[in-house]
Order: sequence, then structure tokens, then C-alpha cells
Amino acid sequence: MKKRDHHDRKDHVKTPPGGITRRNFLTTLGVGAVGVAVADKLVGKPAEAVEVIEPGESARVTLHINGRKHNLLVEPRWSLLFVLREHFGLTGTKVSCERGECGACTVLIDNVPRYACMTLAVEADGREITTLEGLMKGEELGPVQQAFVEKDAFQCGYCTPGQIMAVEGLLRKNPSPGLDEARRATSGNICRCGVYPNIAKAALRAAELRRGK
Amino acid sequence: MLPSFSYVRPGTLSDAVKQAASEGAGVLAGGTDLLGCMRDGILPLTKLVSMSGVKDLRGIAKRSDGVLTIGSLTTITEVAEDKLVRESHPALSMAASEVASPQLRNQGTIGGNLCQKPRCWYYRGDFHCLRKGGERCFAAAGQNPYHCIFGGGPCFIVHPSDTAPALVAFGASVRTSGPKGERTIPVEKFHVLPSVDVRKDTVLEPGEIVIAVELPPAPKEAKSLYRKVRARNSWDFALAGAAIVLTMSDHIVTSASIVLSGAAPVPWRSKATEDAITGKRLDDKVIAKAADEAIRGAMPLAQNGYKLHLFRGIIREELKKLA
Amino acid sequence: MNRDEKQLYYAKGVPLPETPDVPVQADAWSKTSVVGKPLPRVDAYERVSGTAVYASDLTLPATLYAAVLRSPHASARVKKVDVSSAEKMPGVAAVVSGASPEADVLWPYSPDMKTKLFDPTVRYEGEVIAAVAAETPYHAWDAVRAIHVEYEVLPFVSDERKALDAGSPAVHAGGNKVKTETYSRGDVAKGFAEADVVLEQRYRTASEIHTPAELHGCVARWDGYSLTVWESTQGVYSIQARVAEVLKLPLSKVRVINKYMGGGFGSKLQAGKYTIIAAILAKRTGRPVKLFLTREETFLDAGNRPPADMTIKAGVKKDGTLTALEFKGLGTGGAYPAGGTSLIDWLIRDLYACPNVKCETTDVYINAGPARPFRAPGHPQGSWALEQMMDSLAEKVKMDPVQIRLKNIPLVSQARDGSPPYTTTGLKQCIEKGAELFRWKESREKAAASKGHLKRGVGMGAALWFAGGGGPPSTVIVKFFSDGSVNLNLGMSDIGTGTKTVMAMVVAEELGVRPELVQIENADTGTTQFATPSGGSKTVPTESPTVRAAALSVKQQLIAMASEELKLDGSSLVFAGDSIASKDDPSKKVKITALAQLKKRGLVVGVGYRAPNPAGKVVNPFAAQFCEVEVNTETGEVKVLRFLAVHDSGRVMNRLNFDNQVVGGITMGIGLGLTEARVLDHGQTGKMVNRNWHDYKVPTSLDVPVDVTSEPLDIPDPEANLTGSKGLGEPVTIPTGGAIANAVHHATGVRVFESPVSPPRLLALLAGKRKEG
Repeated sequence: MKKRDHHDRKDHVKTPPGGITRRNFLTTLGVGAVGVAVADKLVGKPAEAVEVIEPGESARVTLHINGRKHNLLVEPRWSLLFVLREHFGLTGTKVSCERGECGACTVLIDNVPRYACMTLAVEADGREITTLEGLMKGEELGPVQQAFVEKDAFQCGYCTPGQIMAVEGLLRKNPSPGLDEARRATSGNICRCGVYPNIAKAALRAAELRRGK
Repeated sequence: MLPSFSYVRPGTLSDAVKQAASEGAGVLAGGTDLLGCMRDGILPLTKLVSMSGVKDLRGIAKRSDGVLTIGSLTTITEVAEDKLVRESHPALSMAASEVASPQLRNQGTIGGNLCQKPRCWYYRGDFHCLRKGGERCFAAAGQNPYHCIFGGGPCFIVHPSDTAPALVAFGASVRTSGPKGERTIPVEKFHVLPSVDVRKDTVLEPGEIVIAVELPPAPKEAKSLYRKVRARNSWDFALAGAAIVLTMSDHIVTSASIVLSGAAPVPWRSKATEDAITGKRLDDKVIAKAADEAIRGAMPLAQNGYKLHLFRGIIREELKKLA
Repeated sequence: MNRDEKQLYYAKGVPLPETPDVPVQADAWSKTSVVGKPLPRVDAYERVSGTAVYASDLTLPATLYAAVLRSPHASARVKKVDVSSAEKMPGVAAVVSGASPEADVLWPYSPDMKTKLFDPTVRYEGEVIAAVAAETPYHAWDAVRAIHVEYEVLPFVSDERKALDAGSPAVHAGGNKVKTETYSRGDVAKGFAEADVVLEQRYRTASEIHTPAELHGCVARWDGYSLTVWESTQGVYSIQARVAEVLKLPLSKVRVINKYMGGGFGSKLQAGKYTIIAAILAKRTGRPVKLFLTREETFLDAGNRPPADMTIKAGVKKDGTLTALEFKGLGTGGAYPAGGTSLIDWLIRDLYACPNVKCETTDVYINAGPARPFRAPGHPQGSWALEQMMDSLAEKVKMDPVQIRLKNIPLVSQARDGSPPYTTTGLKQCIEKGAELFRWKESREKAAASKGHLKRGVGMGAALWFAGGGGPPSTVIVKFFSDGSVNLNLGMSDIGTGTKTVMAMVVAEELGVRPELVQIENADTGTTQFATPSGGSKTVPTESPTVRAAALSVKQQLIAMASEELKLDGSSLVFAGDSIASKDDPSKKVKITALAQLKKRGLVVGVGYRAPNPAGKVVNPFAAQFCEVEVNTETGEVKVLRFLAVHDSGRVMNRLNFDNQVVGGITMGIGLGLTEARVLDHGQTGKMVNRNWHDYKVPTSLDVPVDVTSEPLDIPDPEANLTGSKGLGEPVTIPTGGAIANAVHHATGVRVFESPVSPPRLLALLAGKRKEG
């Protein structure tokens, strides 16, 4: 696990840039006290001290999101998707099926595309998570985002973050994919507006842009 | 939204086994199936035992005796892309690359793929069916186009795994660890027919955890493939499929292993098809006979009679490729 | 708006104000410098960066999350709802059910059929029973699971083909027939007598579910007596009207906002009970409430495309001339009146020239979720039957499918009173151009020669769309700032079709400003002008002429200012780049931003109104689509290899968005043709068994070819409106399914009468054919 200590922050909740969520879950969820009481159960304990987080209790986890480290308390049942959207205000990650059947919530976990809806936040403990927002360079679009703009690879835009993350994951693994590889890499992302051909072309364009073309 | 459960993340396999043996516990590996089942309210689990703290269950290695061991937490993507698997057991590689969707392959594990719950829409849906302790199988007289033609009754699910038929075809085994210690179970004997126990998917005992899959070496001259037909080209489970492993000498089939997916509540080995080609040259006549043998004894339901044509078609098409 | 279009679904139940008919003097654009270009979307950045806040992304301070308990039974009576344990659960702020006084409101399924919000009579699975607001969605669902309901389960009918059988349970006291509609012209008996070939076939299209990516729902917040709703919707004004009606609030006290929405396809033209429930929970708790359905709920209770059972009888002469068409259709909008047969016979009435036509459609009730308009209501269904029938007729009279269609091109709208002409019709050119670009003849011959078990086939379909001309009402305001940038204010939604971009381009075209300098304020009942919801392929032809009118008003005012400054007559001045100059002497000019009056006033405001469409004429878009498939006759797998679409939607406003829309429509048509069908548990429970995206199969990237070509006709229709545009969003998905079925027939000789052409269905038919053969 790569640590990025220079980004470490003590506070638990990141204030989203430009978003509308403005809320500290620790103070409003009503489970904060319980959460604090069981904090540290999971981290840094020797193997023999297996401790059980009971229903309604929270566990302390460390999530590395877009290069920043966050310590926070989560209920074991919370999905990573819920935590990203409703606690961090990272609403680039979309909610659409919550059953691993559409890909709108695709994020990279240790550079690999996965569904945030089917990942418990507690299981993402210690992992590197990249969301759509993490592809931005300040206010500038990343190459995959730019390619989606150029190729008009979306309509309503709701599945688009997931499509972009799937392509980003592909290119991190294979910087020069062919058309069929691009189609396969995005075959876990439903686009109900149906612009798949444009998405595949955007993936190839993104590969070019990443190579500086 | 998931109901509450307790959560534990043991750091050792023995602790995981202990935790998993407790009442209401479920083993959480990739979670792609387990969490879906919990969302749908069909697994009343009260505790999840996370395997993410247990080391050494992930990865593929060749033992000195030539057996490939695949740690149970190895992802489906890792199985699909592994060079060793691709070279020696292409059918498994092909099967793994046809599973679900890329993201689910990145997350789901080989152990989980073998232990997954059936995909019957009544079982997964809001129906209190036999498999969930209810009184009836809704598929028997209901909407059953995706159900079984072999081995059915009193429940008519098909086994959803793509990798399991390939593993059966290669004679693979499952290594488990449980309260009574470790054991090895051939994949062919790993799954349970509903006529034996309608509530059980596998022979795993409470607390028993799959730790590895062991894949014996395939003969150098072996040819293998996995073919999957589905209603849609991503996510979908097999309408019908086949894992075929053949060895041939001088164009004569010297050994054959043919396992059907989408056919039965368990990966369905078709000995009749194997027999129809063993010792023979794969000419049109033999292939036609083999295709007919593949569906001998099938008991289609009202809406899945097409599977008779489909399995014959698959066997014909794929044997021609291998001939 | 034409008389018949006033009845259109997207305007139903919505009070339609009339906008003033202010004539605008303007010539049709002869050459454009911005309009028509393949420009990226003006809101692309927001959508790919994540800064676009969709309604479902919104979490206000102190937000509560709501969840709804729904009936698990298709037909039942609610005897008792016990919310007492749910109310006591941790994190729960409020539970409402039929017993709650604030929930004692009426939900209008139609003007004549209103039920209680939580109606004790359950007529479909997924009908609302109670709802919870809690601190997290997890708490809300915990509480929903703790509500105890006693039902008396009643008999149901889930198959529309059995709805009118004696002994079928009645969904409503008056019986299961909603209505029968008939249409007739000429004399079909005479027509059939004149025919050389008469064919009769039965078709069926399965019910489809919209399932847009963004879930249905809203965030509701009260400020005292004022309600604000952020809803994922295609039309903020229709939501406002419904919420005000149900909650008996003045329109001014209901503000509906939706800047970005994640797909609707017709299912978000109207408010849902969820909108009302969110408002009630927010009122009860004094906190904002976020209520979005789960994916499963959207399958049950957010609309569907009705199934269609169709019998079509057709007569044709040896030379391919149609002599008679007779059509009988049966459909269902579910448990409430919802247009179960709406427009399914329109193409039979109007697409191909035919003197003798008779149609009868019957809409029935079943115990299933109410339909909502679904992209080109009725048309893909009718097209599935008609286009396959045309190919069948062609085969019988030994004609090429392209030729038989070209033989029957109408120049007037035969189905409308007085057979009015179309302003423009590109039907013939669409077919001809498509056949040429697709290399139809050559491809067809080559496909027919394919050997082995992988058979290739080539097929086509043509279409028109009943509406697509747009029309009043629409009001648009263009604010031209002193630095030359622009604010555009209009009520329409951009549902993903790129309409915001088109509108910015129209402003740019007229005022010479760069499209990206046009800031757009839209889809907010509190701050933007009235607009009908975005549906019916009418947003561009409705709003873009209005935007042009508003821009022209700005232009006139600026020219008046320049006229004063240059001391030249206004009629001699024109826009020239960033200046206004004399036509006769270009050296006499003034930079627009240097206009003294503009500087003084800070901005110029132009208001535009949508002028009526030309009287006595019909504005419709036309289309032809061509495809090639490969069928594996051993497995029944169908691979779509390529598609080519030629559309006449008037002027192409933005080539990039235009082609994109075509691609999307074809994908959706591939869904109808190959993969999608609602499956109900007939005979047992009547419940929907495939209420998720695994079991209900929408196409994926691997089901759609990359080789999809859009070659628009691009014939501006100056008579239609000020921009010469016609609608595009629905025609793109109308002929697709039928074209695929025709290609499959060409490949295999098997005609698939029922959608979708899935491996199970096709294999069974192929086996049947082998037996016969």
C-alpha cells in the first residue's frame, strides 16, 4: 500500500469541491458515539484478537481516495458507493442499480475497475480508490474525459463516469488497446442511451491523448 | 440496502474457519454474489467473515508434481489472464473470461465462483420457493426458459458457474479447510443435486472454506475449449454451454471430457457424448451422433425445449472446431 | 401545434398556456456558420468532470432518506398496515401510510380515475403501501422491512390476451376493457378483392421497461409553505402542475428544478407518486427528503412500453402497389388507463400509400404496473408488424424490399382529415440514399450466398414519426450583455439529446457569439420560462425557432442602436463579425460592444415566442434504416454486424449530436429486436420475474456493432419553422427492430413474429423449419 503522508488530513470528512453536500456524518448519523467506542478494533491488532463489529456499530477504516488519506467510521454494511457519494460528496460516482448490474458506480481500486456498489466500504480499508474526480488535474479534464467530449461518447451523461473509469482502468493496464479490447473493457457498463460505438471510439482516442497526441 | 450484520476480519485461516462455523455466518470473499443475495433477502446471514485479512489464498502456482494450484481468493480476471492456465488449460481461461462482466471478474474469486448461488429468478426474486424453505418450485410450472433439462426436481435451477464445468472437465479438485481439518473434493462431486438436498448448493460443511483449486496437468496434446451461448453478450449466464477437453492421436479421439453448463443444477458431465467420440475419428457422422447423445435422457420443461437444439448445435459446432 | 398533437402524451394532463403569436420576419438561413457543425456539447465538461449535479446527486443539509414499501401482490386488498415497530426503529423520522392524515390526497391516474395515494385496493405489484424517512437509506430500509401488512390476496390477470376472457378477474369494477378505437378509410373488402396477393400475419412485441440510468425520484424541501422539488424529470413544468394539483398548492408555491437528468425515454415526463410521498415526508419532518426508487422498483412502477398483439392483413398487386391494410391491435397500459394501444396503428394508417385501410385497437387492463410513454409510443410495435409484412409481401410478388417500399410512397398524410401534405417528406430519399450507401443490392446478394451455419442476412425498415414538428407554447429570453456574452433563459430540459448545445448554436448563429459564451439557464419553474416536457421529438423544432426569434429580437434592438449611432437606416445594416456594418459600405460600422446605448444599459433583452406551425400542413420526420446480421443457425445467436441510417429530420442542427442520437436509437431498437422483454409470472402469481438488469436484458457494448453509420438527408424545412428543423429522438428507434427481423429472415428464411429474436425463440423456429424442410 502506497502511503501519501503529505496528503494526510486529520479530519474525517472531506468537503467536496463545488458539491452541495455539506454535512458531517459523525454528528448527524446518531451512531457516532457507538462508532467511536469501537474504533480501532480492526486496525493494528494482532491476528489472535479477532474482534467482531456488531450490527449498528462502526469500524474505523482508512480510505485513500484520489490520493488523499481519510480516516473514518463506517458501518460494515455501508457500500463504498454510499460512503463516496453521501459522505464525501463525490457524486461523480453514480448510483443506478446497486446490484453490480450496470457499472455506473465503477471506480478504480488499486487501479482496477470495480463496482463501488458491490464493495463494502469496510473492505476498501487501506486501498487506493480513484473516482471520476480523481482524473481531473485541477479544473482540467484528464485525457479519457477529454476523449469522451471529443467523440460525444454520452447522451444523458449518467453512466458516463462509470464508462470513463472503465476506460481509465483499461488504459492503465493496456495503453494501446484495440477496438475489441475497448468494447470488452466497457462491457460491464450499461449505457441506456446506447452510444456504445462512440464510447469505444473515445477509448481509442483517449489512448492517443495519453500518449500525447 | 443491506440489513445489519456483524462483521469480522480474521487474520488467519484458522480464525476464519472458527468464525465461519458460527450460526448465521457467511464467508465474504469478492462479495459479488454474497452481497447480491443479501440485498435480495435470500440469505439470512447475521455475520460476515471477511477473507480480506487472510494471506496466501491468492495466486496461481505450479507444484513440483505439475498440478496448478489456484488460491481461492484469486480473481476471475487473474485466472482468465494467467499465462500458465492459458497455455495448459485454455478451456478454463476461456470460461473465466466469459464470466459476468469485467468489473465482476476483477472482484469475484474462483472460490466464490464455485460457491455461488443459483440464478433462478424465482429463487433470487420475491418468491418463497422450495430452495428457500417454501412449499413449491415456481419454475416447474412457471417461467422456465432458463432452467434445467437434466437432473431437475424438485427444484429446476441450473448451476450458474462457467468455470466449474471447465474444472470438472480437467478433473480438478477443491481444497477446503474446515472445523474438521483440510480435505480435497473433486469439483465433479462438489455440487449438490436438489434431489439430494434442495437447500444445499455444495457439500461444504458449516465453517468449511474453499482455500484452493487444484488443477492436474493436462496432457501436452490435449485440446480444450469452453463455449457459452447467452441471450446477451455480457453479464449473462449460459443458456447453454460446454467445456470440452480432448486428446487425439492420429485424428482419433483417445480421451474426452465433456461437461455441459446451463443444463443441470450441477455442472453436467455428459458421459454419453464422451463415449460417442472416444476411439473415433471426428467425422460428420460421429459428430452428429455425439450431438444427439448430449441430450439423451433430457427432460425439458415447458419453455426450455430449445435447449435440446442448442446443446446439439453447440456440440456439433465445437467438435467440428476441434476435429 | 396541430390539433391532433395537442392530444399528445407529453402534453396530457398539463395545462398548456398559449404563447402570443408574434410574427417574426426572418429568412431561412441559406448558409450557416455555426448551426449544423459537429460541435461538442456546451455542457460536456460538467457531465464528464462530475460537476454536473443531477437530482439524485443532491444531498441538502439535514437530508432524510426515504424508502417505500410496495405491494408484493399483483392484486390484493390491504387489510391492515402496522407501522408501530417501524416508527420506533433507530434513525426513523417519519412513517406514512394510508392512515396518515397528510397522505389523504388523491392521485389522478387520469382525469376520471383518481385513487387514494396509498390505495387499499392494490391493482399491481409495486403499488405503494407506506413510506419511511430516516437518517440514512439503510435505516429507512430497516424500517420498511419492519412494517407489517395484512393483505387479502385476490385473483389477478396478467396476460392482456386473456383480459377480456369470461371469468378473468376484473381489474376495475367496470371490467377490463379500457376502450376500442377504430379507423377506416376506403373499402378494405374492395381493396383485398383487387389484390393479387393477400397475406395475414400475427405479430407480438413484448413489453419493455425504460430503465434510464438515473433512478426515478426527487429531493423535496419545504420553506414554510413553499415547496421546492429537485426531480429527475424531462419537464419541470409538468411536475409542478401535478404536485400543485395533488397537494392543492398554488403553482407559485411549487418550484421544480432539474438542471441535469440521467435519461428518461418518456418515463420521466410525469410526476410519480414518489414525488408526492417525498413532499409529504418532508412536510411531516420539516427536513429535506431524498426519495429515489431502487432499480427493482423502477421495473415495477415507473412505466413500460405496453406489449402489443397485432394482426395485420395486407393486399398487394403484382407490381407491388398496396391495395388494402387491415389491422387489429390489442395492448395494455397495465392496471390504470395509460395508453396501452396508443399510436400502435399509426404507421399502418400513414406510412405507406394505401387507399383502403381499417384499424381497430383495443386497450385493456391487467394487474401490472401502469405504462408510461416510451420513446415513439406505439410506433416500434406497429413498425415491427408492418415492416415485416412489407417484406413478406415483397417476397410473394418477387420484388425487392426496397422497391416495394418505393412503390408506395405517399406525399400527403393520408390518415389525417383532408389528407394534408407534409411540409417536407424525405421518405423516398431516405430509402434511396440508404440503399445506395449501404450497397443494398450487392450486400443482399453477397449475404444470400453465405454458406455453412453462419448465415448472413440484410434487412431494412422505413418509418415516420407521428409528431416531431413541435409548436407553441414556448417562450425564450435572450440576454445580451454589454461585453457580447449571452444568457439564454428557457424552461426546456436537455434530456441527453444535446438540446442545450443546439440552442447555444442558434444564438451563436444569429448574434455572432461563440457557443461557449452562451450561459444557459433552464429547467427551473422558478426562474425560467414555461416549456412543455422534452419528449415527442419536439424539443429542437419547438425551442430552437423560439430561441432564434428571441435572438432576432436582440439583433433588431442592437441594429436600432447602431442605426442611431451610425446615422444610417436600420434596414441597411447587418451583423458582420463583432460589428454592425452598412450593407453598402462596410467601412461604416460600429463594434457591437462599443455601442454606447448597450454600454449604458448593460444588456439587451430579447423575448421570443414560438410561432404556430403552417396551417393545413403536417410536419413529420422520416427515416430508413438498413442492417446486416449474422445468424448462427446451430445456436440461434444473432450478431448485428452493421447499421446504416438515413434520417430526414429537417435541418441537421449539430451533426455530432445528430449522429449520436441515431446511434442511441438503434441501440434501443436492438434491445427491442433481440434482447428485451418483461416477463410476468402468468398463471401463478402475476409478479414480474425479471425486475433487474441481469434478468431484463438491455443491450451492452458487445451487443451493438461499432459500425453504425448515420447519413442524414439534411434538408431544411423552412416552412415548418424558423430553423427548418424537425424531430429526431424517436424516429431513430422506430424501424430498427423490424429491420433486424427482416435481416434475420433474409439470413434464415425464418420469420420471427414475436419480439425479441432471442436464441431460444429463433432456435425453436429454426428447428421447426428444418422439420418442415
